[in-house]
Amino acid sequence: MLKIENLHASVDGKKILKGIDLTIKPGEVHAIMGPNGSGKSTLSNVIAGRDGYEVTAGSISFHGKDLLAMQPEERAWAGVFLAFQYPVEIPGVNNVYLLKAGVNARRRHLGLEELDAMEFMQLVREKARLVELDQAFLSRGVNEGFSGGEKKRNEIFQMAVLEPSLAILDETDSGLDIDALRVVAGGVNKLRSPERSIIMVTHYQRLLDYIEPDVVHVLADGKILKSGDRTLALELEKRGYDWVREEAAHA
Amino acid sequence: MPDIAALRKQAWDAFEQAGLPTTRQEEWKYTSLARIGSTLGEAWWTAADPASLDDADIEALAIPELDAWRVVFANGRLIRGATHLPDGLTLSPLSELLTGNAQQAAVALQWQDDAPLFNGTLAANSALAEDGLCLCLTDGVKLDKPVYMLHIAGNGGASHLRHGLWLGKNSEAHVIEHYAGVNEEPGLTHAVTLVHLGAGAHLYHDRLQDESPKHFHLGRLHATQGRDSMLSSHAVGLGASLSRLDLAVDLAAPGASCILNGLYMPTGRQHCDHHTQIDHSAPHCISREHYRGVLDGRAHGVFNGKVVVHQGASGTDSAQSNANLLLSDKAEVDAKPELVIHHDDVKAAHGCTVGQLDDKQLFYLKTRGMSDEEARQMLTFAFADSVLTGMRVPAVRRFIEKRAFSKLPLGADAEAMLG
Repeated sequence: MLKIENLHASVDGKKILKGIDLTIKPGEVHAIMGPNGSGKSTLSNVIAGRDGYEVTAGSISFHGKDLLAMQPEERAWAGVFLAFQYPVEIPGVNNVYLLKAGVNARRRHLGLEELDAMEFMQLVREKARLVELDQAFLSRGVNEGFSGGEKKRNEIFQMAVLEPSLAILDETDSGLDIDALRVVAGGVNKLRSPERSIIMVTHYQRLLDYIEPDVVHVLADGKILKSGDRTLALELEKRGYDWVREEAAHA
Repeated sequence: MPDIAALRKQAWDAFEQAGLPTTRQEEWKYTSLARIGSTLGEAWWTAADPASLDDADIEALAIPELDAWRVVFANGRLIRGATHLPDGLTLSPLSELLTGNAQQAAVALQWQDDAPLFNGTLAANSALAEDGLCLCLTDGVKLDKPVYMLHIAGNGGASHLRHGLWLGKNSEAHVIEHYAGVNEEPGLTHAVTLVHLGAGAHLYHDRLQDESPKHFHLGRLHATQGRDSMLSSHAVGLGASLSRLDLAVDLAAPGASCILNGLYMPTGRQHCDHHTQIDHSAPHCISREHYRGVLDGRAHGVFNGKVVVHQGASGTDSAQSNANLLLSDKAEVDAKPELVIHHDDVKAAHGCTVGQLDDKQLFYLKTRGMSDEEARQMLTFAFADSVLTGMRVPAVRRFIEKRAFSKLPLGADAEAMLG
């Protein structure tokens, strides 16, 4: 589904990603862990297509297509979704309107008929229940005046409505208390399916107690230094990241 | 009995003496009226021919689905009056008062001998106004639907209008002034509205200037507020080639409050100027002002917000903000907040910004599937709409939103966005 090869990227001329290789199959959940400044968020942003990130080498193919050649909205239509680390407040743009426009833009792109208002509201209500989002939030401005936890929950709600085939959760656990984390993780688990892959970017093991990954990668200094199963995350929690660096240096 | 002819002559003399304001005057620094003179010539002060409009012409321009008492002016003359008025409300055409009740006309229009004529354009209006609406509301009467004044400009000539809104004690009204027109020849609308609010009176006032892009528009609203009265004003400038609105509010008695919200959206080569002045003349008055501008093409916008806190105005509470969004690098805005404070014990804040759309917000919308154009349109709309959220009647707000939207590059999709 997603194949990243030898990806190098810079921000403002500074090299951040220095040769990432990553392959994700349909239905898999991958956790990408690493210390601050390792390039985790840069990887998320490059996959989603944010301006200001220059890809200097390598490729990303998604369902066999060149993802790097696409605009951010084209990536969304193709099934990529980014849950933001810091969701943006957009006063005056209604939550439901945003989602309706997004869903229908994608349906148009896929040659499907647009949903009418009734069908759409039905979909939205059903998905709001899935992430235990208060219906009152639906009619508010996008993230306007939401608490940190509400914003993250709203991201997962959007993911539920937009039904991506690849979701990148960028530090979705940060800033959440344990109850909010349980709700958000519960929503993500309900959205797991054999067709949907998920990349979880985090530096805490805690999230992985709730959303169990198939593969754990350690990203440090712009490279994936080690990959393994769940137990790798537990080891990282115990021993920190330095031993992985040392191991990589001696390899 | 006041001698209307003599008063008109006095006003005309004052106009001739002062002449039109020029850009050498601070208040007119960014707006030159020379183009009106050079385009219209004599027609500047020649009344336009009365227009003949049928009901279909009127309906095509009117705000749809608005339940209101509707009064229609065409080329500066009243052509349709309102009927079935409730007790306590009178809507008298100025043209009738001028012949039938000069006393009331003079009072309603503030043509007293000692009334200051302010500047050249107001004097010209005093001399030339042929028609207008004198709305009088008896003490304690609260209108349950708006009074809707639709002004339709036709080809050529000038429409000098003078309206008076007189609200008695504890009365309540909502008045909508709508200036429209599809004329292809340039003309001028010059409309002055004088507002007097008695103690405890509430006025909701919406002013939409949406005239043809060939037209010139000079507008003025002067309000004097009594004790504990409240004015809620929304002024929207979308049309005309060159437009200027002067909005002045005198919080003349304790406890009076005003909310002035405004939106201007010049595109192409439009020039749109809003000058506001709020005088805190009495203690414990509150003013809130929030104006936003969206400028595209080679448009030029001007906002000047003056707040004067006079001596003795203890407990004044004033806040003003002005934000501008430039959609093109050729568009220009001159924005100036002006606070003049002659008294301590005052709470006053003001802020002014000029900027572009936020990249983070644009990216967020695109990751949800919005095209670049759609995302820009949505953010622009949200920016502009924030000053309209307090509007009282949904039909009016919806109409303004649609008209504003039609000016943006993706105008055709506006209706979908408004759901």
